[in-house]
Amino acid sequence: MAAKRQETVLEVDDLSIVYRTKRGDVKATNHVSFSLKQGEAMALIGESGSGKTTISLALIRKLPKNAVITSGSIEYRHNGEIQDVLRLSKRQLRAFRWKDCAMVFQGAQNAFNPVLKIHKQFEDTARSHGWTDKQAVRERALNLLELVRLDPERVYDSYPHELSGGMKQRTLLALGVLLNPQIVILDEPTTALDILTQRAIIDVLNDMQRQLHFSIIFISHDLSLAAEMADTVATVYAGEIVEMGGVNDIFYQSLHPYTYGLLTSVPTLAQEQDLLQSIPGSPPNLIHPPSGCKFHPRCAFATAACSQDEPPLIQDFGAHLAACWHKKALAESREERVS
Amino acid sequence: MKTAASPNFLLSLLRMPWALLSGSYHFINRLRANRAGFIGFLGLIAYFILTFIMPYFIPFDSEVNLDEIAGPVGSRIQLAVHRDNAHLKTFEDLASKTVGVVDQTGGPSLIAPYADSITIEKYRWTSRRAGPGIRAALLDLADKEIDGMLIFSKTVEQILADDEDLELQAVYREHIVISNPELGPPHLLGTDTQGRDIATHIVHGGRILILTAVIGGVISTLIALVVGSLSALLGGPLDSAMTALSNLILAVPRLPLLVVLAGLIRFDNTLFLGVMIGLLGWPPLMRAIRAQVLSLRERDFVEAARSLGLSTTHIMFREMLPNMISYVMINFIFAITFAMYEQIALLVLGLAPIDDYTWGVMLYFGRSRGTLYNEDGASMALAPVLAIAFFQVCLVLFARALEEVFDPRLRSAV
Amino acid sequence: MASHSSDLENARVNSPNPVKYVSDFFDRYPIHKNYYLRIFLQALVTIWAVMSFTFVLVRLMPGNPVDVLIEQILTQEGISYQEAYDRVAASFNIDPDASMLDQYVDYVGDLLRLDLGTSITSPGTRVIDEIARFLPWTIFAVGCGFLISFVLGIVLGMTMAYYRDSVLDHSLSLVSSFFTGVPNYIWGLLIIIGPGITWKWFNVGAARGTYDPGLTPGFNAEFIASAIEHALLPIFTYVLATLGSWMLSMKSSTASVLNDDYVNVAEARGLKDRRIITSYVGRNAMLPLFAQLSISIGFVLGSGVVIEEIFVYWGFGHYLFQAITVRDYTGIQGSVLILSSTFVFSNLLADLTYGLLDPRVRITGEK
Repeated sequence: MAAKRQETVLEVDDLSIVYRTKRGDVKATNHVSFSLKQGEAMALIGESGSGKTTISLALIRKLPKNAVITSGSIEYRHNGEIQDVLRLSKRQLRAFRWKDCAMVFQGAQNAFNPVLKIHKQFEDTARSHGWTDKQAVRERALNLLELVRLDPERVYDSYPHELSGGMKQRTLLALGVLLNPQIVILDEPTTALDILTQRAIIDVLNDMQRQLHFSIIFISHDLSLAAEMADTVATVYAGEIVEMGGVNDIFYQSLHPYTYGLLTSVPTLAQEQDLLQSIPGSPPNLIHPPSGCKFHPRCAFATAACSQDEPPLIQDFGAHLAACWHKKALAESREERVS
Repeated sequence: MKTAASPNFLLSLLRMPWALLSGSYHFINRLRANRAGFIGFLGLIAYFILTFIMPYFIPFDSEVNLDEIAGPVGSRIQLAVHRDNAHLKTFEDLASKTVGVVDQTGGPSLIAPYADSITIEKYRWTSRRAGPGIRAALLDLADKEIDGMLIFSKTVEQILADDEDLELQAVYREHIVISNPELGPPHLLGTDTQGRDIATHIVHGGRILILTAVIGGVISTLIALVVGSLSALLGGPLDSAMTALSNLILAVPRLPLLVVLAGLIRFDNTLFLGVMIGLLGWPPLMRAIRAQVLSLRERDFVEAARSLGLSTTHIMFREMLPNMISYVMINFIFAITFAMYEQIALLVLGLAPIDDYTWGVMLYFGRSRGTLYNEDGASMALAPVLAIAFFQVCLVLFARALEEVFDPRLRSAV
Repeated sequence: MASHSSDLENARVNSPNPVKYVSDFFDRYPIHKNYYLRIFLQALVTIWAVMSFTFVLVRLMPGNPVDVLIEQILTQEGISYQEAYDRVAASFNIDPDASMLDQYVDYVGDLLRLDLGTSITSPGTRVIDEIARFLPWTIFAVGCGFLISFVLGIVLGMTMAYYRDSVLDHSLSLVSSFFTGVPNYIWGLLIIIGPGITWKWFNVGAARGTYDPGLTPGFNAEFIASAIEHALLPIFTYVLATLGSWMLSMKSSTASVLNDDYVNVAEARGLKDRRIITSYVGRNAMLPLFAQLSISIGFVLGSGVVIEEIFVYWGFGHYLFQAITVRDYTGIQGSVLILSSTFVFSNLLADLTYGLLDPRVRITGEK
């Protein structure tokens, strides 16, 4: 995971999204900014409902109809050209999707059209982006299927229902990189798979990234997966990025109580059982979010200040950012716990 | 337990009217959200009033009136007098005068109550010497031999438009006026080929049709419910036999089968026709219910009930039926529309009893007597056609709304 | 791991073990799992059941038709009982002295040779010839109406789903309720009363029959035009009467497919809209409609009896109705049989199409 100094492919700035519902506006994403470098793997972690998926859907403008982007920009840079994803015309957007930025959705079980053979769906994708040479598509697809460790000929000529869940997931990965995209978004790529298949997929992903040099954004609540795959990790809570930094910083020196809570709620082999904790309370109401720091009702370190002022996402040292008033107290508590 | 149960039971009995009231209030409220469905619901209430309550107040018009044949909407009996006597407007005005009445027309029954004070001059409907009675009466009126005459509004128009008899037209224009255009009651939907009021026939013509359709619906739904759930619960040879039987019945298109049976058996009772329709109508619903019971059987709450050792009847009536009742209700309504469809088809073909003068029988006569193909008969044919069409549409709208009010997941079950 | 399991399967299929038991045969050649074979056998069994049913029907009818006819011929023609009996028996293809079982075997044998007996009321006319004369017209009219309404319903239903909750959707919903609610023969009557009689857009009387008298049936423009002209009213009625239910079914099924993952993924894949609408949404949304197809075909085919009577279209329904009015029992028996067979075969056709459209059904056999 040697992240060389490379150019930025994606720059998200001040992105805010609300869902208009009958009960009120759900503020699903608030002032989110981050950037992604070429070949970088970035993980968005957080509980379900925290807004991770909304962010990723916005990247390819695949938000539900009732979603409105209230502020921000998404810049995609490729070969020196800069495109604002939010301003793409319908035609440009169609070309952008999958060719520049592919998304491997959560639950690949139903990601394939059940009545078309796999090769049709590969060819469909290629033809829609102007690649009509079926033979060339076939060669590329077979290579990719091989890369995801499937029996290429057999899978390429199958119907989706003839494949197992893990096989479909891997096929979707192969389809995802068919057009050699710059960015691949993986939404919970391993949920609903058994542990061995999960392992296989992670290996495949690492292999592929090494060979094809695309950037990855992946969304997961599975921290071990994030630790294994990511260069950078961003923790999302209540539609905001509350902490962002290198994978080692986040996992060993987390500066936000929520990230810390997530980490201590995961069992590890080395850890003793009584150290395992869960975060009290439940995710906040995003129609009427708490004032100040949105995590304060559930936070063990919260003080009166937390409920009034929202802490800024600032960096204290290195490239590690966190939005918390009590970073010091947290650091001390962590030291104590480890010893 | 037993002693505690009875006061509870009494209490729940006391609560029942309230529960019913609030239940129907909530039901109607939810229904109102679906505008089309609510219209269907109101329409059904209107039909109930029209066919079950109004017949008690509006008598069936069976009086044959040769003058009033195939009258258009709103036509009625009018009073014609000589131009000089235009002030004569009511029967009271005509006291001690002479009024011409043509045989077998709407006149006699209208004038009968005044027979003591008014002298009635009778004209034959038609006689070989004098020709049409109406013509003779009009000429007498022009000559002031009689003081007034009752005439049907459509007849007046025909006389005025009749180019064959220019003499009568001239006489009429010169000497005669309609002094009271609203003497008799209007025929809201016109009159049929025998001069009878169509509106009263519509009022009286729905009850037996609807009853027959409901009987058909009840029978087919009940059979489907019982056979379907028993097949699914008991399985084995009963299941195979019932599935085979339903497949067989489904293999023969239903309407032709009914047409054949009706043609060969010759029903003499409309309600028996409903029974026949019900006996043939159950297989589609039975299949759906069988599938539902099979899937319900696998659900957790039924599993739980079974592992508690509860009896099959308990599971059937307490656990499963409440889960299917809305589905069955909706299909019951659809079964009524099918039964309606089938019996009226048989009536139109003349294969069902025509003793009761229903909407279907009106259509049968409309076809067999050719009024359907006659411009003047439009109202006669259209009235029952629209009565049937709107009734069916109301049922369908209502059933569709129920589908949405009840569990929407069930929609894909058929 | 996946390749591992497929290796296992390969090993089993290629094993050189000889076939010892019947079950081995089916293991090796799983023809009982073949979708096409199974629906074909099902169709045959159903037709056999209907054959037996009509056999019983004619013999169990109140006032056994055989006796009724003998009575009738006796009173009309004053011949001996034996003569009358022989004639009726000949019409029915019944050997009077044979046992019930022998009669049944004879009956089935005759049917297999497409011998449906001769008409009772017009002796010498073979029922099969009569049916062959009338049935094609019904298939023509019903088939056209069915196809048009199916295609139109799919297009309109998808449009409704795409513009859900718009004015268009609501008005089309209401219209479709009218289409389904109003019985089809009522539509027929409305067409006659309104455009036909009152507004005189066309001549109702001239539309009788299946083609203009004096034309020779064949592949000439005049005849085909005339045939279409005569079938126009029934076809239009079939379309009106079935369109609504197709529209509503297609709407709800499209709405559910639009929520499916693969449509979402297809959009994310940057596929062209037209491709998504046809191959991804349309093709999948159509599948549930095939489950209704069988009931719908039976309904439309059956409604032909009334519709053809109303428009005086000389199709199969007209023949059946005539046979009933003159109590031509062999005609009725043959009609029920052929009508059911037509229905069963069109169902078979629908199932075959379904199998072509949905690869899953070929394996699991479940819709």
